Amino acid sequence: MIKKHLLGSAALLAMLAGTAHAEVTVLGWPGGPEEAALRAVTEIYNARADVADEDKVELLFTSRDGFFDKLQVDLAAGSTAFDINLIATYSIGRYAPFMEPISLSDEADGVFGDTVLSTMQFDGQQYGVPTDLSLHFLYYREDLIDALLADESQHALYGDIAEEYLGERLAPASPEDWTWQDFAANALYFSRSVNPDSPTRYGTVIQMKNLLFNMMVFHSLPRSYGGNWMDDDGNITVDSEAYRTALELAKMLYDAGATPPDSTSYEYAEANTAYSAGQVAAMVQWNAAASELTEAQPETAAFAPPSGPEGRFTHIHGLGLGLNAAAENKDGATAFLEWLSTEEAALAYARAGGAPGLTNETVGAISEDRPDLVQVGDYASNYGFVMNGATSENALSVYEAQAEEFTGFWAGTQDLDEAMTNITATMSDLLQ
Amino acid sequence: MKLGNAVRWLVFVVAALAMNFPVIATLITAFKSPSEVSRNPSLWIEAPTLQNFATVLTVSDRLDIYGYLTNSLVAALIGSILPMILCFPIAWAMARRGAGQAILFPLVVNLRALPLIIFAIPLYMMYATLGLLDTKLGLGLILAVVNLPLAFLLLVNAVGDIPLELEEAGRMDGARLWRLLWYIVLPLCRPALITTFIFGFITAWNEFLFGLMLTTQAAVPVTVGASFFFATSGGGVQWGVAAAVMIVAALPPLLLGLVMYRRISGSMVTGAVKG
Amino acid sequence: MATKERRENAMLASPMVLFLVAILGFPTLLSIIYGFSDTSFQTLRSPEFSGLDNFRRVIADDGFWQAAWFSLRFGVITAVLQCALGLFLAVYLAPLIRRHGWMVAVLIIPMIVAPAMMGLMYRLVLHEFAGPIPHYMYEWFGWSPAFLTYQNVFKTVVMAETLQWTPFAFLLFLAAYQAIPEDMREAARVDGTKPWQLFRYVELPLMMPTVYVALFIRFIDGFRVFDNIYTLVGAGPGGATTSMSIYIYEAFLRQGDIGRALAAAILLFVTAFVLLSLAQRFRRGTT
Repeated sequence: MIKKHLLGSAALLAMLAGTAHAEVTVLGWPGGPEEAALRAVTEIYNARADVADEDKVELLFTSRDGFFDKLQVDLAAGSTAFDINLIATYSIGRYAPFMEPISLSDEADGVFGDTVLSTMQFDGQQYGVPTDLSLHFLYYREDLIDALLADESQHALYGDIAEEYLGERLAPASPEDWTWQDFAANALYFSRSVNPDSPTRYGTVIQMKNLLFNMMVFHSLPRSYGGNWMDDDGNITVDSEAYRTALELAKMLYDAGATPPDSTSYEYAEANTAYSAGQVAAMVQWNAAASELTEAQPETAAFAPPSGPEGRFTHIHGLGLGLNAAAENKDGATAFLEWLSTEEAALAYARAGGAPGLTNETVGAISEDRPDLVQVGDYASNYGFVMNGATSENALSVYEAQAEEFTGFWAGTQDLDEAMTNITATMSDLLQ
Repeated sequence: MKLGNAVRWLVFVVAALAMNFPVIATLITAFKSPSEVSRNPSLWIEAPTLQNFATVLTVSDRLDIYGYLTNSLVAALIGSILPMILCFPIAWAMARRGAGQAILFPLVVNLRALPLIIFAIPLYMMYATLGLLDTKLGLGLILAVVNLPLAFLLLVNAVGDIPLELEEAGRMDGARLWRLLWYIVLPLCRPALITTFIFGFITAWNEFLFGLMLTTQAAVPVTVGASFFFATSGGGVQWGVAAAVMIVAALPPLLLGLVMYRRISGSMVTGAVKG
Repeated sequence: MATKERRENAMLASPMVLFLVAILGFPTLLSIIYGFSDTSFQTLRSPEFSGLDNFRRVIADDGFWQAAWFSLRFGVITAVLQCALGLFLAVYLAPLIRRHGWMVAVLIIPMIVAPAMMGLMYRLVLHEFAGPIPHYMYEWFGWSPAFLTYQNVFKTVVMAETLQWTPFAFLLFLAAYQAIPEDMREAARVDGTKPWQLFRYVELPLMMPTVYVALFIRFIDGFRVFDNIYTLVGAGPGGATTSMSIYIYEAFLRQGDIGRALAAAILLFVTAFVLLSLAQRFRRGTT
């Protein structure tokens, strides 16, 4: 049995060796609209007359679970299974040693703009073509909030709740004008633990699982209070009024029951499910959730996250494609990446369902097909931010450490001072 | 007596329901449409659909459930049979003569306590050099390592349970060592070998991390392949499809268990009679 | 004779030893080097010797001890629960199973499901809005416990692990129970022994070796738990559900701190090795 199999796989290997690497192999982000979009542009590219047979692009998709763990092992061990691979803003620094900088087409500046291109840069060099841009929206139930705005008999109760929990008497406001205080007051008002007559069980849902992506969602809050990872001189500034206020606001909402008690184990899927069940009035979530949430709750509207004393912010990061240093068909790969950064490719990618961050001039061409991209581009350029140090070599580890310390504070395993001391120490190690 | 049996049945039903509840709930979810999953969390299906299973069982240019199942089958067979072959001789030597008791036994058994994924990088490099990357054989070999501790433990235990007289009789006839092992000890170990095989096969079938790290296309096992189905519409988990693929992925070891359970108890009884 | 036996033993050991050296020799060697070096993904090919530095960092890390304590507690509690439940089911249901063999098949289904998937199943089943358990709790009692809060998550993962792996202990015990020669029972019954006494003084002592083995295997498996906890709740708030394996995995892949991950693994392995060697010596001493 085993012997037979040994022979079988040897034969298979011999076969593969003959045919493999004749093409350009691209490792893409599996599953979502990114995959559909990449398939569409690949088809266009492969149909071009000037693309030689040995430079045709072939796509490879693996598991979404553990994707970055596997990619890290693949790259570090010098895998030749792909020529081009996915990168994300927060992991460029970690993968850069195993990748090569690339050059983009001349059109790239005009198509994507500086902010978006910079999400794919490390050490001043371009490591990837930006494909998709991720940021956060405030999603809210228009029906519920309009009803509250119209029903003045409730405004006193709303004010009482705000005064009791936030120390400030607030009146219901339109979500487009919300500060984080308004967001919190609204969350409390729509929670049964605070207001037994609330139409929803919870006013909001915060993803508090010990997971690095949840930190990205959270970061728009401390940023609007002026929080940053470090100042321009490289001093770690995470232990600040801004972070403390933001962390405490989230904990207050958790303790008050304004977000489900299981929130400390919630990530993307759980939070969306809670919202979709109609038991949540408003939440901050990735732009990618728009169609899912709107489908389940048609009265859903989306706007940029609430504002703070320092303004309105949304955490942005990009996905893109870059060149594996161990690639076996570098010329073919470089050609494809260069083409991918042209206007033709970017627009085709957007039409097929991708979410590239495009400049106003470029997005105009498809504003009718993809009005949401106009919104994404608009928010990215007006409110988008990346923390100081969030593209460095250890950025991923910083998010990871924050997830551990901050969720510990929210769940009550440690107090705020402890969390602040720990995260400052860890971030000093990682960023300096 | 009758009442006693009624209570026994009750205990059985309660235990079976409690232990199998997530499996039952998953089975039910697999027959719900996506919109029903988010709307109706009860165990009652309003509009049963086979759509989820159809999605799972349809081969597309990216998703091939039959390929994943085949890969898992081959790798799990290597990963469960090889450890028994490797362990059986030394298990006998240890149970009878104490060979390997001081170092080899604790060394191997403790491998089970280690998260073997720490070997991911060097293994990856070694596999890349040897051409074992993304092959069923390569995956099967590392699954054999995963199963080695349990096989060793169970077989040492089994050999120790064999009455010495039976072996002595063989010795007296002047049987050579390998004949003794092959014709006398091995058959007496049959129940333990079957148990070891089942446990090993299930463990190998269910392994995820090495399957993820060491394969990309040609040898993707079903645990990893299953996760390909989870996020077929954006980042969200499609619970219905996920449930269907989990059910499909659990079927082969389940069938094995169903076929083998008779043999386990059957061989135990014959073993006992001989003893 | 002694040399012949030694030669035979070496021959009998050789398949396993050769296999281990072939597959794990290089990885082990490299891992030990990494454990004593300043290693990250960037320096895989040029690790810089750093002596005991990684070990010092591991020992000074609260997270490591928290994970060790979690694993120890989890391993002991789940092993005892599973073996107690498994023993009860095996012995109590044995008369029925003798006639209805299919019952075994029904009871071992949970352990056939991949632990990673079992974790996912519980993620759905326990979800406040999509899971049947909270759904029925709300419908019947107007209230449901939150299973995955910091206060409850340990109980929940213990329950999930116990329900999935009791069948393992059950199967081992059933085999051991059925292997007890019927004439021993008959003899006891003739003497007028009550069923409880039969179990206590005849059957249980005969099953004890299997009980030890089952406890040991279940403890190790509980100690090294990874898949089901990781897919259900991850590392937990503040690391509350970080088992030893999760600690090492996160240090290795998520934090990219390979030196520390391997130092922790080496510590774990050496400790386990010493303990098991002592136990072996102790067992040999007593028998």
